[in-house]
Amino acid sequence: MADSGEDREVSSTLIERAIPEKRELTTKHRTSDVAFRTILNIMSYSSLLILAAIGGFLAFRGFGAFKDNGLGFITHAEWSSSIAENGKEVNGFGLGAMVVGTLIISTIALFIGVPISVLTALFLTFYAPERLKKILVTVVDLMASFPSILYGLWGFIVLAPMATYWAKLVFKYLHWIPFLNVPGPAFERSPFLAGIVLSIMIIPIVTSVSREIFGQTPLERMQAAYALGATRWGMIRAVVLPFGASGVVGGAMLGLGRALGETVAVYSVLNIVFKINLHVLYGFGGNIASMIVQKFGEASFIEKKALLAAGFVLFIMTLIVNLAANTIVQRAVKSGK
Amino acid sequence: MSTDNSSQPNSLAGVAAARLREPGSAPLGSGLEARGVHAWFGSHLALANVSLDFAAGTVTALIGPSGCGKSTFIRTLNRMHEFIPTAAMAGEVLLDGKDIYAPGTDVTRIRLQIGMVFQKPNPFPSMTIGENVLAGLKLAQIKYDGHKDDLLEETLSRAGLWAEVKDRLGAHAGGLSGGQQQRLCIARSLAVNPKILLMDEPCSALDPGSTLRIEDTISQLSKTMTIVIVTHNMQQAARVSDYTAFFLADGGPGQMIEVGPTNEMFSRPKDERTENYVSGRFG
Amino acid sequence: MSITTVAPRKPWKATKKDLIPVFGALALAVLLDYAVVALTPMKGKLAYALLFFIFGAGLQMALKWRNLGRRAAIDSLAASIAITGAVLAFVPVLSLLETAIVRGFKGLYPGFFFHDMSVANYQSPLNQGGVIQAIVGTLYLIVLATLISLPLSILTALYLTEIRGRAAGFIQFLVQAMSGIPSVVAGIFIYSALLLTTSLRGSTIMAALALAILMIPTVTRTAQEVLLLVPSDLREAGVALGATQWKTVVTIVVPAARNGLITAVILGVARITGETAPLLFTLGVSNKINLNPFSGGQSALPYYVWSGLSDGTELGIDRAWSGILVLLMLVLTLFVIARVFGTRKVKTK
Repeated sequence: MADSGEDREVSSTLIERAIPEKRELTTKHRTSDVAFRTILNIMSYSSLLILAAIGGFLAFRGFGAFKDNGLGFITHAEWSSSIAENGKEVNGFGLGAMVVGTLIISTIALFIGVPISVLTALFLTFYAPERLKKILVTVVDLMASFPSILYGLWGFIVLAPMATYWAKLVFKYLHWIPFLNVPGPAFERSPFLAGIVLSIMIIPIVTSVSREIFGQTPLERMQAAYALGATRWGMIRAVVLPFGASGVVGGAMLGLGRALGETVAVYSVLNIVFKINLHVLYGFGGNIASMIVQKFGEASFIEKKALLAAGFVLFIMTLIVNLAANTIVQRAVKSGK
Repeated sequence: MSTDNSSQPNSLAGVAAARLREPGSAPLGSGLEARGVHAWFGSHLALANVSLDFAAGTVTALIGPSGCGKSTFIRTLNRMHEFIPTAAMAGEVLLDGKDIYAPGTDVTRIRLQIGMVFQKPNPFPSMTIGENVLAGLKLAQIKYDGHKDDLLEETLSRAGLWAEVKDRLGAHAGGLSGGQQQRLCIARSLAVNPKILLMDEPCSALDPGSTLRIEDTISQLSKTMTIVIVTHNMQQAARVSDYTAFFLADGGPGQMIEVGPTNEMFSRPKDERTENYVSGRFG
Repeated sequence: MSITTVAPRKPWKATKKDLIPVFGALALAVLLDYAVVALTPMKGKLAYALLFFIFGAGLQMALKWRNLGRRAAIDSLAASIAITGAVLAFVPVLSLLETAIVRGFKGLYPGFFFHDMSVANYQSPLNQGGVIQAIVGTLYLIVLATLISLPLSILTALYLTEIRGRAAGFIQFLVQAMSGIPSVVAGIFIYSALLLTTSLRGSTIMAALALAILMIPTVTRTAQEVLLLVPSDLREAGVALGATQWKTVVTIVVPAARNGLITAVILGVARITGETAPLLFTLGVSNKINLNPFSGGQSALPYYVWSGLSDGTELGIDRAWSGILVLLMLVLTLFVIARVFGTRKVKTK
């Protein structure tokens, strides 16, 4: 340590004196802790193991289907498995119709479900009295835990007649829009119905995420808007919506992820047929998940492997959507833009 | 020029007339008066029996130690207090003789006439500087009869920010320094042409340089409007205000102990507690 | 000095007098609604609902416009739309619950909970057969899946909150990825890995593995949140006493988070109780109770419902509703228990 007397006289050299290096802080863990930390380390990699195993097994088993059909596995619209005259199996597996169907049903679900969810989230955050809000938030959480087969059964029995009626109405007034036209009067068990059921299923998650982000709107910005004489809606438009937009998008993508993989609900209400159907009011369609269930029971060994390949495609699709969604939501929640 | 609390289409009568006034001429209206204002949070009485008359065209400073109710009081003046769910009040606040808490009053119109600048600068980050200034007009859906650029220049000049931002009105507001942001907020409040401007510790989050610039602005603004400023900085109160009111919460609800012309409050206060506070014996 | 005798008021709140025109307008809207439906070709629930919205929102807007001007009218319209959105979100829930209760109740008879489906099939009258095998099956699945997933989840959560090593961000990312796996994928994965090319057949343990995959991310995430809520003073107290990390975690942190961890597990269980798709690939079939988890098919509540639904006859579907009602009651019970544990404060003793 330098003599303080010297320092007082020569203050200018103080700046030139080097700042010492930072010391590295280490500890030698006791054996029990080494064991503890190692166990935790290994166990947590189990998630990696599982994910890799899922992707690996599905791809491996389903590889044959990819090899035989090439890219057409995804784009080709026909899925056929038959026995030719010589007793050998003739297969042509193409997911095209189901990929299109997945996208159509999910789009309808988002189109109906997201606006309702955002409005509900706004209502709960800014309009509902405190007690009602607590009850309704519990109800939303409850909705999220309903089994999907309940939605399927309800959709099949209760909603289907109503949806058919609405579909006929929509057709009556809007059939000049191409995708709302139908080649024939079959309105039951259509993608429209499946889309509605899915939209109800995604409401809990989109509402929860939206509510969380709306609740984080910075108080000072809301006060600034009110102090300028804004009405409640004026404040929401000027402050809440710009702030929460990216969070809502993330929530919608989480809803999309859910809709992409939905199986039994779609299977119960939709007439699953292997043709591309762009007429959403017309009674057939499908998505990858429900197709796997439908075909699995009677599938031959080769066809089963093709179904596994289809499962792999679904796995990758949902993985990408969910990861993107989670990234967006986390960034929105953290940034507090 | 009367303030009509009942419905009036958003005409520009008041706003246009204000624009035509000579700077320095007598401001609109007869100012703001608080009569017997009490404020509760739930069952806790935070503020008791405050009566203050803010004469038009003056600057009044509200001083006192923390927790004495000055911020609560100022928020009763533009009906921001009621945003707290457990809030309740009693008494009256008269703007040009009419109680702003009267049933049937359009509170959004009140807030157009009584503006507020907050302690922490809060420009809207999703808007540009220009859009921020005009935000109040957009929210109130007031159509401006003239060039928006003129309004931007006028309000930003009055707020003392024009020179620094005139070339970057399209830039985002988040890029400004704290002091600049606060002046932007002042310009934003000015754009809707309020008669009264409430300022809740506007400089406490800013550096001394910005503080002095804003105090300058306040002095300029006081020629055309009535200003009420809460401050915990007595020197600031002494610098900018014409009148000073001293608040204190002596274990009970906050009360206004004394009010008077600023120089008298600081040199010859009538109440012993005021004397103790301004001479630094506590607070 | 200031004993106040002034009463607090909330002059900004709508008084009863203010609300009279609001309710009057709503009543008028109902009248107009019925009038229009009677006089025009519009009919049906949709017509009533749509017209009520138009008249209701329209009249509220008109009221506000008259009293306070255009901006207030638009604010009122926005409020009407927000309320309508919320109603649209909650009406299906009510319908779901109501249908399940009303239709499901029909098939409940005292023996329902004690008989199995070996004495009846899905087209038998409703006072035969029952769900005991499904209930037992579901309970088996829950227990097994929990046993498999619990260690992995808790240890992963502990890694993320207590050790926070360099891989923590990556592990977090993985857990999130896992939470998006569709249930059908979990089912066919187990199938492809263990059943397709082996001589193993569907059994409870297989299905439990598939369900565990779905349970792990839920439990991990909730457990992580709960562990983060434990105040760091507790950890610091333990470490300052010279305790090893594992001792601190095991004796201080985990007990403090006990209630929350129980909630995490229950939420995970609630997640998997109603899952149908994974069972279709891994569970095998049974119409009786099977106490052996390693061989032989098994039933489960979702599977019972699925069978009834697939059967398609009226009786079959009635059975499905009864099964759903039992399943719902189970899920709701779990939900309530999770709430009760979740709202108990973190123990900081």
